[in-house]
This record gives sequence, C-alpha cells and structure tokens, in this order.
Amino acid sequence: MLYVAGVDVGSTQAKAVVLDDEGRMVGEAILDVEMNMGTAAQQVFEKVVANANLTPDEIAFTVATGYGRYRVTFGDLQVTEISCHARGATAEFPRTRTVLDIGGQDTKAIRIGEAGEVVDFAMNDKCAAGTGRFLGAASFALELPLSELGPLALKATAPVKITTTCTVFAESEIIGHLAKGHRPEDVLAGMHYSIATRCASLVRRVGLTPEITFTGGVSRNAAMVSLLHKVLDTPLNVSAQGHFMGAIGAALYALDHARAGTRHAAALAEEVAP
Amino acid sequence: MAQAHVANPAPTVDARTAGQRLVNQWLAHVHTAHERGQPVAYIFVMGNAVEILRSFGFELVFPEINSLQTGVRKMAPDFLAKAEDYGFSPDVCSYVKADVGLMLSDMQHPSGTRIPKPDIAIASSLCNVYIKWAEIWERHFGTPAFVLDIPGKRFATWRPLPGTAQYDADTRWVEGQLRDLIAQCERITGTKFDPDRLAEVESNVNEMIRLWVEILQLNQRRPAPYNSMLDGLTYIGVLNAWRGTPEGVEYMRLLRDEVAGKLARGEGRVAEERFRLIFSGTPCYVNMRRLVELFESHGGVFAASDYLTYAAGGLDSSGLFYDPSRPLESLAEVTTLASQLGLSNHFFSHQTLAQQVKEYGADGIVYHGIKSCRTVATSMADNREYVTSRYGLPTLYIESDLIDPRYWSDAQIKNRVDAFFEVLEQRALVKGGD
Repeated sequence: MLYVAGVDVGSTQAKAVVLDDEGRMVGEAILDVEMNMGTAAQQVFEKVVANANLTPDEIAFTVATGYGRYRVTFGDLQVTEISCHARGATAEFPRTRTVLDIGGQDTKAIRIGEAGEVVDFAMNDKCAAGTGRFLGAASFALELPLSELGPLALKATAPVKITTTCTVFAESEIIGHLAKGHRPEDVLAGMHYSIATRCASLVRRVGLTPEITFTGGVSRNAAMVSLLHKVLDTPLNVSAQGHFMGAIGAALYALDHARAGTRHAAALAEEVAP
Repeated sequence: MAQAHVANPAPTVDARTAGQRLVNQWLAHVHTAHERGQPVAYIFVMGNAVEILRSFGFELVFPEINSLQTGVRKMAPDFLAKAEDYGFSPDVCSYVKADVGLMLSDMQHPSGTRIPKPDIAIASSLCNVYIKWAEIWERHFGTPAFVLDIPGKRFATWRPLPGTAQYDADTRWVEGQLRDLIAQCERITGTKFDPDRLAEVESNVNEMIRLWVEILQLNQRRPAPYNSMLDGLTYIGVLNAWRGTPEGVEYMRLLRDEVAGKLARGEGRVAEERFRLIFSGTPCYVNMRRLVELFESHGGVFAASDYLTYAAGGLDSSGLFYDPSRPLESLAEVTTLASQLGLSNHFFSHQTLAQQVKEYGADGIVYHGIKSCRTVATSMADNREYVTSRYGLPTLYIESDLIDPRYWSDAQIKNRVDAFFEVLEQRALVKGGD
C-alpha cells in the first residue's frame, strides 16, 4: 500500500494528513505552532504518521504547504496553500468554482476554472482584520475558547456594530461594548458580521461563482457559515475536514507525484551527493 | 592623408557604466550649481516643461528621484522618521516624507550630494500631491513655485483629440502658461528666451524618444534582453536626468546598440525565460531587486512595464514627437496629449496595457499597489477586471510601498508570487491539454 502526507504549517497551527493510494484519509494531526515552525512541522508529521499506524519510512511522498512550508525540511515539494486549498476543496466538492479560506492571519478567496485549476486569487494585505486572528482577539477579550464563540454568537438577538477594522483595537472595542451593557453574544455576533463582510468583499474581488466552498479553521464556526451564507446570498459547501483542507490538498499533490513515481527529495539528494 | 591608425582604441563602455557615470556627473553638477552661478529648478518627472528649463540652462533637481534614491540606498527609514517625528502622518506619500526628511537634514542627500535650494520649482496637475509638495518648498525655501495646470483628465469616457475645438482650447491654455513660465525664467536668469535653443533641446528629446521606443520594442522579442523593472529603472533615471541633451542621445544610442546586440546573441535577462510578464504600477525601490529575484527564480521576466511606457514627461513611447519648427506650440501640444494618456488618467490605461499584452506576448500582469499613494492604485481594480474578463489573463496584485520598508512583508509577497506562478503553470497545463 502507498501512503503520502500533506503538511500545512500555518501561522497559528500545523496540520497534517496521511492518505492511502486511493486518496482516503488514514490519519490526521494538529498542533499549535509556537516558537519554531520547523519543530512544529516535524512533530505534527510524527504525530500523523503515528495516528495512521505507520512509520515515516512508509510515506512515499510529502508535500508541504502554508507559510512554514519551507521549514518542512523533510518535505519533498512545497506548494502554496492557495493551490492546496483549491485542490482539497475541488476533490471533495467537484463543482467548486470559488474557495474561501479563513485562516489564522490570512484570508484567501480563490477562483477555480473548469478544469479545477486556480484562475485567480485575492488575499488580505497588511492587516489581519477579516481573519481568524480577529476571532482570537474576541476569544481573549471575552475569556472564552474559540470553539464556543460561534455557538454563542448564534444566540444573539441585538447584534452590535463593530466599527474598528484593526484586530488590536477590536479587543478594546469589545470591552467598551460590554461595559455599556451589551450582552457577549450580541458583541460576538457583531464581530462575526464584521469578518463576514470583509471576507465577502474579498470573494467578490475574484468574482463570486457558485459553488463556493468554505475551508480553513474558521469553517468549523457555525455562526460564520450562517453569516457568510447571508452576506454572499448563496449557500456554502463546508467539509467536516475543512480545517485540514490545505493539508489534504497538499497530500493529493503528493499522491500525484507518488503515482508518477517521483522520487523523494532526500533520496535524490543522496544520489547526487559526491 | 589617411587618418593615423589608433593602436589602442579605448575599450567600449557598456551602457550600465555609462549610465552610472552620467548619473554621477549629473549629481556633481547639481552639487556645485550655485557655486558655478547656475540656476536650479526643482521639477517632477511628469508634466515638467523640462525643455524650457533646459533651454535657459537650469540645473535640474528631481525630488522624486532624490527620495527614491534614499530607498535604493537603504536610507529611507532615517528620512521618513524625521518627517514623521516632525508630525507627518505615516499615510502621507513616502516620497514627500523622505524629501521633508531631507529638508530637515540640511539637504544632505545620502548620495553625498548637497541638494541646492531651488530658484524655481515646477509642479503640474498630473499628480494631486505635486502642488502641495511644491507649496512646502515655496514656504521652506522662500522661492517661487510655478504650477502648470494641464487639462489632461477631462472626462471618464472621452478625451479631446487633435482637430477638436476642445483640444485647441486645451493646448492654447497650456501654451499660455508656458509663456508665463518663460517670462518667469527670464526674470530669474536674466537671459532672454531663445526659441532656437528650445528647438535644439526638442530635437535631442525627439532622438532620445525615437531610440527609447526602439529599446522598448526590442524587449518584445524572446528572450527579453532586459528586465524592465530592474535594468529599466536605471535606463529611465538617465532618460530623465539627461533629457534633451547630446549626452542623453549618446547614452540612448549606446543602450539601443547594447540591447540589440544581446538580442542578436540570444542573451536573455533570465537563463530560462518561462513566463513573460508586464508590471503595472510604480516600483518598490527599497526592495525592487528582491521582488525581481522572486519572479526571476521562477523564470519570469518583466518584459514591459507601464512605468517605462509612461516614462519621463508623461508618455514617451506612443510616438509623440516635437515639431522643432514651432517649438513652443509643439511643446504645448505634446504636453497636453502626453498628460491625457499619462499615468494620471486611469480611464484609458487598460487600452495601452491590453495592447502591450499582445505586443510583448505577456503571460500575465503584476499590479503593484502603493500603500502611501492610494491614487496610483485606484485604477488597478478596474484595470484588472478588464484584462481578466476580456483576455482571461492571470493577474497578481501585490502591495508595498515606493520606499517605506515597513510595508514590505517578504513572506507575504513570496507566498503570493509563488501562488501566481502555480496559477501560470496550471494555466499552461490546461491550455496545453486543450
């Protein structure tokens, strides 16, 4: 049996998956990225291989993606997360023509062509408003875990309007609203709405073409899915594995190479070494 | 009698060395202008009536070039900080701030040149910052600023072309202002305007532009002999500083021959040219070498750029030439037409870009937005939409600044550039499979 790995080292988390030669996921792992991206990559790889009941030697090919892709020293190839999210999304939802990925500090809108190729993309620039980091600020200010933000926001009855676009100032704005007596769920709903509108703008920039698939860690947030549906006026495909979509796409690229018989980078290096 | 044989001819100077020499020579002239009793004019690169100033013998200072040079020499943060400490907002044009920093540094430029104060400054309406910037000089140095109001931008859907009453009115309006400028130059220099001298300068400009157009066209062939956003930036610096001079003509000829030679020998800018690109927007002088390196590592070369297309004075690649037999009228006409088509007019730039896509065989367009200049990036959204929907051409939008390194994020830019090349690769595969 042939196995391949995809390792997605993002700004906040490292994700990894192992696929078998049929493209079925046989292992997944996730770790927070702390000081060293290279260490996080190594650890998440060891963890995913162990979760798949395999040894590293059994992985035929590894593709690294995410900001830390060049820190994946054991990787055979680097592919950007734009191509990887597109690949992962179209594998699960073949009619995908637009991908929205909300990550830790990057949000990407990707337009996909008829053949599943990336045609265009747009990303947030110089500012983390409209990214997962914005929710991180809310989590910190409200002293709530990230996983509880979405469910609580769905309970809002009178959402407040968040005016700041600065992730740093968002925290003080939240505290200000709470001090005025607004309920946390209403403040949170405002935060979610603020992110959704910024993301929608990014999607329109590449041209919203259905179907749209929502990927990245924030795709697990039900309030965000609901609000994006509302502001984009179209339903969104959401995978149960949305958080791993970059890693899945990377692993699918790895599978292409493994099937084509592409050699390990390490093996090639050994061959050419004097 | 036959001419004596020269046993040891001087080695041929390459264009790069010649260009560097000319830039240094120009800076040295600027440095000593007042000691030599020569008047100094501060001018911008667009809409500057440089031909008139040259005819009066002004030494030319380009504050935009002074500012970009602080970036190239990695000294911009010191000058920007001085302006910001003084109270300028980080959002203000970084060229303006670097220049204010220079004023606060007693005009001591990192090139070693002490920039003399102007006897006159010329601003035009081609950039909405120019006039305010010139007002700062007027107040700081106590010297006059002359504002040239060029009616380039009239309507979104129509521009006056030769043969229309509006065009005649526009050129008369510009000509009247040029006559006012001449009167002011006569007062400052104490010399009378010489139309023959203006005609001579214009003839030199015509020859430089003829060669410049040729140089740009040579890059339409494969492999592109130069990168329009690296080598090209040196070329354009010389084109600006020596515009209208015999030295400028000589340099352009040398450059044309050198580029043609590379083409004849099949010497491309990159070892393996895989993708030909167009760069739209102004450069990030502080990191241009790095940016070009990111593209060239993927075999991508900027065969053309609208920066070189619009070059000095507004628009120098469209075949607009002076008629030296009627020098002043012709200057007014070319200035008006060039301004209509220049960078300030974002309603028509997509047409030029679309034309270049065909001429240069471009595989994609890279747009570079400037954080401290929202004006220059305003048209990019429309422009991008046009080339993407009309031609299905991949485009990339990246953002940094002219000279402020705080707006450069290497990881972000590299990520976008890598992804752009993945798009180009996938497109080539899909097209190849059709």
